[in-house]
Amino acid sequence: MPNASSVRSPAPTALPHLPRSVPLRIGLGLLLVLLLAYPWIAPGGYLRYAGVLVVMYAVLSTSWSMVGGFTGYVSLGHAAFFGLGAYATGIGVVTLGLPHAAAFVLGVLVVAVFAAVAGLAAVRARGASFVIVTIAMVTMLSLLAQDMTWLTGGSAGLQVPGAVAGISRTGNHALFFYLFTVLLLFALLTWWFIDRSRYGAGLKAIREDEEKAEALGVPTTAYKVAALTVSAAFTGAAGGLYAMWFGNLDPIFVFSLVLGSSMVLMALLGGSRYLLGPTLGAFVVAPANEYFLTQHGESQLHIILSGALLFVVVLFMPEGVIPAVQRALRRFRPQSASIREQTQQELHESRGAAT
Amino acid sequence: MSTLSAKGLRKSFGGVVAVDGADLDLHEGRINGLIGPNGSGKTTLFNIVTGMIKADSGTVRLGGTEVTGWSPHRIAHAGLGRTFQLCRVFPRLTVMENMLVSLRRPRLRDILGGLTSKADVEVAMGWLERVGLDHLAGTDARDLSYGQQKLLELAAVLMADPQLILLDEPAGGVNPALIDRIGDLVRDLNAEGRTFLIVEHNMAMVMSLCQHIIVFDRGRPIAAGPPAEIQSDPRVLEAYLGV
Repeated sequence: MPNASSVRSPAPTALPHLPRSVPLRIGLGLLLVLLLAYPWIAPGGYLRYAGVLVVMYAVLSTSWSMVGGFTGYVSLGHAAFFGLGAYATGIGVVTLGLPHAAAFVLGVLVVAVFAAVAGLAAVRARGASFVIVTIAMVTMLSLLAQDMTWLTGGSAGLQVPGAVAGISRTGNHALFFYLFTVLLLFALLTWWFIDRSRYGAGLKAIREDEEKAEALGVPTTAYKVAALTVSAAFTGAAGGLYAMWFGNLDPIFVFSLVLGSSMVLMALLGGSRYLLGPTLGAFVVAPANEYFLTQHGESQLHIILSGALLFVVVLFMPEGVIPAVQRALRRFRPQSASIREQTQQELHESRGAAT
Repeated sequence: MSTLSAKGLRKSFGGVVAVDGADLDLHEGRINGLIGPNGSGKTTLFNIVTGMIKADSGTVRLGGTEVTGWSPHRIAHAGLGRTFQLCRVFPRLTVMENMLVSLRRPRLRDILGGLTSKADVEVAMGWLERVGLDHLAGTDARDLSYGQQKLLELAAVLMADPQLILLDEPAGGVNPALIDRIGDLVRDLNAEGRTFLIVEHNMAMVMSLCQHIIVFDRGRPIAAGPPAEIQSDPRVLEAYLGV
């Protein structure tokens, strides 16, 4: 039995914290300033519009990773929550005549309740079965939105009046750029909070070995449903903002598998186990998508390229760009830091423990 | 008082009857051994008792409470911990995170509490010190040796402070020095009042460690008693050696 050494390093922290190195902090600070200044420095309305879209995608991929990253349950149907949030908010404004803020809150609540109920059934399936359940979910909602013309406007779409009467187009883009940025910060904060809680440890344990987690006392079903609900609420909130910002809800777009797959691609590309991974992925994929749309029109090219990119990421960087870059950086660093100093006693003990 | 008792447990997989009307009675504070040939139903019994699989019939009681049909996490909260036949840790979680997965009571305050909450980390470090892994708290579990993973698995089970611990082949695949160490650890924990049920094929370990041994064959117990008695029991010799 080892005795506690009197000079022991402080209890090692067990989790990835916010980046600690000073240059990285300064870099992130500069990025944040740049982000906040973006609507003012972006030349032209289109780039402002694209900026809103990129931040929206960052919210979506971060929300997705609250389920996909922590629990390893891959949902391809997260667009269901986005579309439902958008439609619930839109219907709140148009049909119920609620103020925009109230309709937004209603939208988030509707999505959270829907996710909790649907989640109870969905998380019974694991692996590929879960993926199929989520695809079924988004497909069903898409059909409903197209068929319930009296409520949703059907295939013609739902027109949602703007949040601020008489605001200019560019003013509207700037407003929603900041609203989406605030939502992104909330989503990141929530992700960070989960990551450093025992709840987060339980979710990660589910990802690694669900049966074992259950045997250790983790109520896995409740944990998964809660994660799905929180993730869906953020996704639905993004949908609600989208409804008020974009003003026209197209059931084919908001409930599309392509939208859901984009969230997966962005999260995996950046690294769904890292706080800023999904945001990084969104900042790469969303502008690339927009670039191809503007250069090549409404072709399927960007979808094919997205698919190819997903293929490359899953094959060569399954953990995403962040750990791949970290590994590459480590290779160029001096190696001395990796050698631990051990006392004779520790060496003896670890030899005794190791097989 | 009986910590764990099972009555008339039966479980079949298709045409194979894995557990066939088994009764089990464990007394508090003892190190119990469960032995038997391969395929005699020991692990299935473990899985039924811990709630991992549902028995076709029969009841399980834990410390006087009937837990038949309970989910594994509820049974864990009722004070039963287990390890697995093939050592299972969470590979991409650090040693400390592995420790903090386990919850004695799922209170919201504890669940949402930070991983760095001092009390939890101190308890975890205490257990890690006892198994000699405290210096590896920040290491990913996948980077540990197999023997260290076995120790981590046991330490993580202890985090929930279980009164009854089921060990499925604790000596499987580990070196003799470590077998002795695990044995000592079990004795210490037993001296603190914890009851053990150990499935093991290493007879030297079973005979030296266990105070009471239950022999399983074809899905039911065929003999039970102290090690000396079991070693000379003709039914046991027949089951093991076919004589």
